[in-house]
Amino acid sequence: MENIVAEKKKASLDTNRSSLMSRVWKSREVYLLLLPGVIWYIVFAYIPMYGLTLAFKTYKANLGIFGSPWIGLDNYTYVFRDPAFIESIWKTLWINAGRILFQFPIPIILALMLNEVRVNRYKKAIQTVYTFPHFLSWIIVASIMINTLNTQGMVNGIIKMLGGDAVNFLGSTEIFNSLLYLTENWKSAGWVMIIYLAAISGIDTEQYESAQLDGSSRLQTMWYITLPGIQNTIVVMLILSVGNLMNAGFDQIFNISNAATAKAGEILDMYIYRITFQSAADFSFSSAVSLFRSVINFALLLFADRVCKWLGAEGLFPSRKKTVRG
Amino acid sequence: MAGVKPAFKRAYHHNQIQTLDIVLLVILTFFAIAIILPFINVAAISFSTQQEYLKKTVLLIPTEITFENFKALFEDGRIWVGYRTTLLLLVLGLPLNMFLTTSMAYGLSRPDFPFKRFFVYFVVVTLLFHGGIVPMYLLMKQLKLINTIWSVVLAYGVNSFYLIIMMNYFMSLPISLMESAKLDGASEWRILFNIILPLSMPIIATILLFYAVDRWNEWFNAMIFIRKGNLVVLQLALRSIVIDSQISQQMNISNVQTDVKFSEGMKMAAVIVTMIPIMCVFPFLQKHFVKGMLVGAIKA
Repeated sequence: MENIVAEKKKASLDTNRSSLMSRVWKSREVYLLLLPGVIWYIVFAYIPMYGLTLAFKTYKANLGIFGSPWIGLDNYTYVFRDPAFIESIWKTLWINAGRILFQFPIPIILALMLNEVRVNRYKKAIQTVYTFPHFLSWIIVASIMINTLNTQGMVNGIIKMLGGDAVNFLGSTEIFNSLLYLTENWKSAGWVMIIYLAAISGIDTEQYESAQLDGSSRLQTMWYITLPGIQNTIVVMLILSVGNLMNAGFDQIFNISNAATAKAGEILDMYIYRITFQSAADFSFSSAVSLFRSVINFALLLFADRVCKWLGAEGLFPSRKKTVRG
Repeated sequence: MAGVKPAFKRAYHHNQIQTLDIVLLVILTFFAIAIILPFINVAAISFSTQQEYLKKTVLLIPTEITFENFKALFEDGRIWVGYRTTLLLLVLGLPLNMFLTTSMAYGLSRPDFPFKRFFVYFVVVTLLFHGGIVPMYLLMKQLKLINTIWSVVLAYGVNSFYLIIMMNYFMSLPISLMESAKLDGASEWRILFNIILPLSMPIIATILLFYAVDRWNEWFNAMIFIRKGNLVVLQLALRSIVIDSQISQQMNISNVQTDVKFSEGMKMAAVIVTMIPIMCVFPFLQKHFVKGMLVGAIKA
């Protein structure tokens, strides 16, 4: 008996006695499987990451990223003296504050409402309708929105029919932010809702049962059981959006803004895009801005995670083991 | 336990329509209509004449259906170029995506090999950090891929989220299958192709569809890396038809009315043509995405 166990161990694992090198050699086929992917990651993910060192260099086209001379923090002293940069940061933060206020709760509310619907066929139909726009590119969505919201479009048609005055939704800087929240909700509130619905389906039914026995109303169970039940998911989603505070949605703004609203949509991404590809390009300068943004985002992500743990929620990085293996 | 749930549900939802149900129905349906109406409007405009468009305030069903707008669109030609480039992108890009993702996901799903944690982190780090567009552009320039389709094909190789979803799926398969195949002397590639892939068709199909949709919607890299008129991708073709022409049109409205072609109709025809493939694959996508989303959300 002992023999068989020992043999099996030897055959299948053979880890205890052998050295690291022979274990590596044993797994050579696994490494071969990983190889194509790893090569891709190195070339197209890690080399560009190294390219961010341009933030501390002055880019010379003939020398390339590696050869360009280091200049320390000089790019940053320029960056922080550019009023357009400072303004774009404020705009980004302002837009994102609005996103957390007017965009973040909508999918949660939708999920809570849809969860209370009892007719399954209707539920399915609604889900289908809500999730579809998520799969369209922002170019398609912007095209549809330009058609729907322009001065001769459908929404203004309805407003006129009801006796109101046409609103210039697309060309006004004052309603530009609202336009962003509205179109983003139109496009992906339904998609994010799916995450919350999935979380709701994971809540223990026994809790509902006992609440039912205690005679709680549906609104009460929604408030005292469903909402706390998806608290962790809400927290994770909130951390993620805080970690994205420096991105305010390039795709959306690039396609929805126009000459009239360009100023209102001058977020950090648009600023980076503009200094990189439109005026006389300065690659080191825009790398400096990009790096700045990534670092701030990452710091915010860690910070939000800490705050959540401090408040007793699970947070984004539960424990080392879990993140790796799941 | 299994028997308790339906019985409880029946008791809880004792088939009585409450005010809450009506309120929910109204709100949810309203949101659904707000999503659907713009699509109907777009479709209606693409099939109608300019006279009708100007006459009706809210155009939902055209009375006389015309295909003139689509004819004008295809005569314009930009959409053809877009379709050609995007199809090329799919043909070259999808096999690359699937090959890289599947092989790496399977490799990472193997239970025990040295430096496994390192490779997992190697993937996860890219979810948090990326170089951004400037280093990418310079890299493409260095590789002499600017203005070729390969720049766009290669720039999007592995999506780390999809990789993790697939890896989790592979890890959920019974390990004894692979062990016994190993004892029979099968190589890892053989196990992957002959045992794992046939068992993993649902996840393969899902990830394939996700990649296909991503490829179909690609435009940013294409805009940066390709500045050649005959290699414009579909989304950018749509952009040049609808969004770029928006400003010039607002400036001289009189021009629009004297135009022989109905430009609004042509634009909406372009939207429809760009959207149709997504509409076709959406039902298949929908079958799977809840699961995929859940895994992805937990891992994120």
